[in-house]
Amino acid sequence: MSRKMRLLTAAWLSAVGVVLLAPAGRAAPTQQGPTQQGPAQRGPAQRIVSMIPAVTEMLFAIGDGPRVVGVTSYDQYPAEVARLVRVGGLLDPDVERILSLRPDLVVVYNTQVELKQRLDRAGIEYFSYEHRALPDITTTVRAIGARIGSAERANAAAAGMESAIAAIRKAVAGSPRPRTLLVFERDRSSLRNIYASGGYGFLHDMLEAAGGVNVFADVKRQAVDVSTEMLLARKPDVVIELWYGDLGKNLDLARQTQAWNALGAVPAVRNHRIYELSGDEFVVPGPRVVAATRRLAEALHPGILK
Amino acid sequence: MLRASGVSFAYGRARKGRASDPPAAAAAHLRSAVVLDDVCLNVDRGELVGILGPNGSGKTTLLKLLGGMHRPTAGSVTLDDRPLAEWSHREIARRIAFVPQETIAPFDFSVLDIVLMGRFPHLGAFALEGPEDLAIARRALQATGTAPFEGRAFSTLSGGEKQRVVIASALAQDPQLLLLDEPTASLDIGHQIEVQKLLQQLNADQGVTMLLSTHDLNLAAALCRRLVLLKDGRVLASGPTEQVLTPPAIRALYGVDADIARHPATGHLTVVPIGRA
Amino acid sequence: MRPIRSRLAISLTVFGGLLLAALIVAPVVGSTSISLLRVFDRSVPFADNLDAQIFFIARLPRVVAAALVGAALAAAGVVFQALLRNPLATPDTLGVSSGAALGAMLAITFHLDFRIAGLPAIPLASFAGSLFALAVVYALATGRRRGLSTTVLLLAGVTMTGFLSALTMFTQYLANFTDTFRTVRWLMGMLDVGSYEPIVVVLPMLVVAFAMFATLPRALDLISLGADAAAARGVNVPRAERMALLSASLATGAAVSISGPIAFVGLVVPHLVRLFVGSDHRLVLPAAALFGAVFLIACDLVARAAFAPIELPVGIITAVIGGPFFLWLLVRSSR
Repeated sequence: MSRKMRLLTAAWLSAVGVVLLAPAGRAAPTQQGPTQQGPAQRGPAQRIVSMIPAVTEMLFAIGDGPRVVGVTSYDQYPAEVARLVRVGGLLDPDVERILSLRPDLVVVYNTQVELKQRLDRAGIEYFSYEHRALPDITTTVRAIGARIGSAERANAAAAGMESAIAAIRKAVAGSPRPRTLLVFERDRSSLRNIYASGGYGFLHDMLEAAGGVNVFADVKRQAVDVSTEMLLARKPDVVIELWYGDLGKNLDLARQTQAWNALGAVPAVRNHRIYELSGDEFVVPGPRVVAATRRLAEALHPGILK
Repeated sequence: MLRASGVSFAYGRARKGRASDPPAAAAAHLRSAVVLDDVCLNVDRGELVGILGPNGSGKTTLLKLLGGMHRPTAGSVTLDDRPLAEWSHREIARRIAFVPQETIAPFDFSVLDIVLMGRFPHLGAFALEGPEDLAIARRALQATGTAPFEGRAFSTLSGGEKQRVVIASALAQDPQLLLLDEPTASLDIGHQIEVQKLLQQLNADQGVTMLLSTHDLNLAAALCRRLVLLKDGRVLASGPTEQVLTPPAIRALYGVDADIARHPATGHLTVVPIGRA
Repeated sequence: MRPIRSRLAISLTVFGGLLLAALIVAPVVGSTSISLLRVFDRSVPFADNLDAQIFFIARLPRVVAAALVGAALAAAGVVFQALLRNPLATPDTLGVSSGAALGAMLAITFHLDFRIAGLPAIPLASFAGSLFALAVVYALATGRRRGLSTTVLLLAGVTMTGFLSALTMFTQYLANFTDTFRTVRWLMGMLDVGSYEPIVVVLPMLVVAFAMFATLPRALDLISLGADAAAARGVNVPRAERMALLSASLATGAAVSISGPIAFVGLVVPHLVRLFVGSDHRLVLPAAALFGAVFLIACDLVARAAFAPIELPVGIITAVIGGPFFLWLLVRSSR
């Protein structure tokens, strides 16, 4: 079960970009910085296959989108990816199709060991990536930029993201920071199977940057399996629920708020401070984290951002 | 009291002998699986009858038909002139008890537990045994000489002890007729004698009618006053032991030449196999 | 030996007392400390009374769910063991839980939304799955006249489990990708029902199952000695077997639909109970139901309180206890 569990968790992660159940220790950097180098360095890559939606978005943000020739089955953003070749996902990378694209750089997830071995054998370089905290996102932007010879543009993009986040921090600095529960997974129309951001990872960092205090800040994990009792005991002043993928598009969000009426003692329920946000930007830790953080801040501190 | 007339039985689709199965069709379809073919037999009150036959002759199946555990494919069994099919399971069990060849208990029942199970047909759906049932069980334990180990786990007993306990359990059913399937087959000589004595006693002292199957010729000769010889599902011969147990009958039954003589000490017939015919 | 009447009274008192104690203690204990005084303080409105909300909304439904699921799985375990004349037969080792899980998984994945006689799709599908799996194993076990050895039975169970798990995975494969994690979590077993609704919904199934269980114990005693032995004592064997199959599948299906499959309850509890009350099913069946409830309440208490603020899936706790226990039984029974 645990093996299957891990596999499927990983699969799910490839779709939406959040690492579940991974304790902070395991996800912590194993090397300097968030990236690892592939085999040999030749010139700047011209044909890039990205197995990571977040990195795809970074490449487009840097301005190197035209060099991307293949993306995963889950890539949705930016719109340009629609006409790119799909090469599978985290669990089922289509190696044949990847090779047929004749890439000179493949962006892989760090756990895709088999894919890395095959790329090694084919003599194709790769860029190894892993989801972590918010600062790691801009580090990755710089690293991938440096790797493909676009260091300058990448640094500019990263700096832009950093200053945008800093601006949000500054805007909310003077306001009281509500204790917030950030839910990124639960059953539709009931309060079962709730998963919320723990005190580690980009979701947690985004919440803090947006001027909230994570009610699970003390649990140093990316995901917390939240029971009814924890919901009551942690007394969140605000609940923010994130919906994404097909669900985010098709869900009746107003109805989702009603599910919380079962727990009247939760301050957020009594004060009607339950926010349903939908959009893939919350779970793809790429350049759109700025927009995502901004939306969190707007929910937490209405009207404070112009 | 128990009468089988023209009873046939075949395994297969009609194994359970559902009333809905057309007998003719079932019989045609399953001729190869026929176990019993047109068997007639009757047992009267107080009798001790033996069914004698080689392995696979249909003895066990016949006993199960007579005990109402299987329904015949054709023919009928009547108990006190009423077809067995019209009796309820409990009604039959209050009159007929069955002792299988071997009983294995997958759980740790005590000897008393096993014997008390014999009270099942006498109790209502949710009734528990009362003092009366306990007294009956204890009497059955006494009668079979198993009272000393009533508290022991059934699974720890020897084969002979187990067999006597199961007979006690059957006696606790307070039956008029006891059906025994090769009661001594898996026992050593000592235990064989034990069980044989017990059966004789029960028949003589308590008037329990018995029908037992065996392929032990000498047991049959010593115990039974009347024999039914069964081969390939058909009755070869039946009648008083002295008349039925003859060298030609044994040759027909087992394909063995045998010497039959009266044992001077016991007065029973004894059979000594000599060689294959 | 005491007569059955007093043994039954004693065991019902003892195990009933244990259950009562568990029902009283478990809702009070947890990762958050609450005060009973405040829980029952009428002067504070319920909406503002955190202690009362934790007690009545978070813990009580959960404890009740644990009690019902534990009782149902343990009683079903007892019935399976007697029916198949094998102490190692359980909903888990026979693949019945996997069947129930597959049924429920199909209903969840394909968003089946119908009701038959007021029962919603998930419990019904779960029941159908368990009945199917049990029917297959039972047909295998009784197909030959002499029955199956432990080895063959367990292998058949393992095979069924593997087969049904493969179908479950296939279902997941077909499912919406984001549903996958949810269903995997469901397969690990969970009792945090969050309200009384999931419990109330399957209550009719459980009531019917337990009513059927009540008619079975003596017949099970006799069937455990062999179908012929039972028939000879006046048991209507085909009817009793049908009752046993149906009721045990109903109970397993209902339990699985509340909590997902929770392994090993049907194995551990009956054996522990037999150590105290012997093998008479009139004692074992009610005692196992009561103690099954206690056992799962206790396991869930460990799951939610021992590693606070993290919660473990309760299926992991029962499996950690049940796995070694099963191996021990296997070794002991093969000696």
